[in-house]
Amino acid sequence: MELGELIRELKGIVGEDWVVTGREAVLRYMYDETAPYVRPQAAEDIVVVKPSSSIEVAEVLKVANKYRVPVYPRGGGTGLVGGAVPTKPGIVLSLERMDALTIDVENMVAEAEAGVTLGKLIEEAEKHGLSFPPHPGDEGATVGGLIACNAGGARAVRTGVMRNYVLGLEVVLPQGDILLLGAKTLKNNMGFNLAHLFIGSEGTLGVITRAYLRLYPRWEATATLIVPFENRARAFSAAKRILFSGVIPLAMEYFDRRAIEEAAKHLGAPWPVAAGEAYLMIMLAECSEDIVFVELDMISKIIEGEGGLEPLIAQRSDEQSRLLKIRSSIYPALKGETFDILDTTVPIGRISKFLDEIEELERRYGIWLPAYGHIGDGNIHVHVLKYPGFSRSQLEEIRDRIYDAAVALGGVITGEHGIGAIRRAHAGELLGPTWAKVMSDLKRALDPNNILNPDKVLP
Amino acid sequence: MALEPGASEGNIIVLVKPTPDINKVRFDVERGRIDRSSAELEINPFDLYALELATRLREILGGRVIAVSMAPPHAEKALRDAIARGADRAILLSDKRFAGADTLATSYTLAMAIRKLGGFRLVLSGEKSVDGDTGQVGPEVAEHLNIPHASFVHRVVDVDEDSITVESDFGDGYYLVRLRFPALLSVSRPLTFRGESLEPRIPKLSDVLRSRRARIEVWSADDVPGIDFRRIGLTGSPTRVVKAFYALEEGRRPVVYKDPEAAVEEIIKVLRSRKLLR
Repeated sequence: MELGELIRELKGIVGEDWVVTGREAVLRYMYDETAPYVRPQAAEDIVVVKPSSSIEVAEVLKVANKYRVPVYPRGGGTGLVGGAVPTKPGIVLSLERMDALTIDVENMVAEAEAGVTLGKLIEEAEKHGLSFPPHPGDEGATVGGLIACNAGGARAVRTGVMRNYVLGLEVVLPQGDILLLGAKTLKNNMGFNLAHLFIGSEGTLGVITRAYLRLYPRWEATATLIVPFENRARAFSAAKRILFSGVIPLAMEYFDRRAIEEAAKHLGAPWPVAAGEAYLMIMLAECSEDIVFVELDMISKIIEGEGGLEPLIAQRSDEQSRLLKIRSSIYPALKGETFDILDTTVPIGRISKFLDEIEELERRYGIWLPAYGHIGDGNIHVHVLKYPGFSRSQLEEIRDRIYDAAVALGGVITGEHGIGAIRRAHAGELLGPTWAKVMSDLKRALDPNNILNPDKVLP
Repeated sequence: MALEPGASEGNIIVLVKPTPDINKVRFDVERGRIDRSSAELEINPFDLYALELATRLREILGGRVIAVSMAPPHAEKALRDAIARGADRAILLSDKRFAGADTLATSYTLAMAIRKLGGFRLVLSGEKSVDGDTGQVGPEVAEHLNIPHASFVHRVVDVDEDSITVESDFGDGYYLVRLRFPALLSVSRPLTFRGESLEPRIPKLSDVLRSRRARIEVWSADDVPGIDFRRIGLTGSPTRVVKAFYALEEGRRPVVYKDPEAAVEEIIKVLRSRKLLR
């Protein structure tokens, strides 16, 4: 292949300024937020291309097919499984310039290009008195990436995940054809729902360039509760009773004192709760304050009955953000010493059993396995740290034991992060040869030259 | 309206201003006004520190903590929050006749209400409000009541039965003062109390549920004895807001001279025009 020729053609499509080849300039397009110890090695020979329209995306893909060059679509680079890492020399297709956003208030729909950040989507929806209910992770993530990875987040217990908000999609297929799917309607029964094939395809089947996202009215009243417990068992028992009471919280998070104090220390702020060893963080959001108070009354009684300690409650937005910020800092606080952050998810009735297994592993290896996360939906993030004196294969063994525990309980090894590069082998093993065959048949049908995000997802 | 001798017994009054949540409020650029309907009213963040200090001082000095606000009726929620955060009693001065008050009329009204309450040792307020930003109401209340006051207090050094020792941060210097009760303090953030950092607490759920049922006393102008109706509301406010605008920073405009002599001449000309050179 003639490299100069390829670059010249790419510049002809997107313009001179939007093809980046300088070594320094491409550095920030090589990795995502994956823990450095497990992330794949990025290829150094990459060219970053920044199209401004789906037509340009289509042209870039045609050129890539012509030269048989891999294309790695990239959004905000906030993924945790190496999905955006260019593992072979090729093109990083950054959708950052495609960030047009229109809020169609009348139909309660956001029309967003792939490069719109989650932060911008939330802000614009709110300006129009609407909201985008789920909070699928980092606000620097982009609409394209969120959809491609079917991002989850802490609110899934109430709002569902990214998949539940996509009404329509524009996808550029690997060979450069543009496919329009869905409409601004809540119901659409026009044949196979192909949009859902691309949601969660992690950039392997097509490049998502635009979406219709469902919006909701804004919540009038919100509250964040911190409920301390003397131990995990009591916290879990209370969580279960709350979930069965009919109150559906916006989020229900679990963490222990050690993990949350690490997070607070990372921020340089104290953890404002003196009591307890295990915590539930419960967020409520309703259309009126009276409803929030009815729920608070119910929750208060359950907690008392389950032997919980005195809960604290934040209603001001500054205090709610302060608490959420500490909770969100558990990963950043532990990232430096993390070997791998896991995304295991088990059925909600088995969370307690799963955590028992984690404790058993802690005892067996004499280590700390920080485990926290979305107790409302069974998605528990366990960190395997870089324990002194442990070899890489020992750390991998610990990780595999955690996977085993989740799978034995009827769970999965990833609830929201996806397979990407780092969980391919396990996914293939767990899902079996028939799954692998269907997946590769599909891939071949859409991407015969294996141009789009090769070395990802498929075993 | 000086206080009667002996009035220093007892309570701690906290001036609480219900302000819009600054994360949500919209600013009407054309009319130069805050669109107060765009966000709910909550306790001014600085006043949370005053409340926290009040509850801490109550442990030492005894008495009751009384939150006092002058605001529209829907500010009641902010006063419930004050109760959840430790106030024993909450009074909302709410009357159409109070509307349109500037800092002078506001501080006069608050001072008259405090006088009606009587029996206080301390009045506490935040150093300023996030929506008005004047920092005047606290000290003006003290002047109306003719009691000593310290503003921009960032350190409460010590307290005893008769007095409180505080340090104010005036930007260009620290002022350490001891005030004899009754006195008024307006407090800054961060705030320390006897060397330890004082952060507003996050309320307990049981206190919040209890505060929902608490009685908020609403006082109209007629409930404040001796109030001079000419000194309240818009009538009592000499301040006129002529125009509000964004303070936009003007960019510097660099000029590059290739000829050094021309540059020197230009600099001299500028310095002369500014009367820095003769």
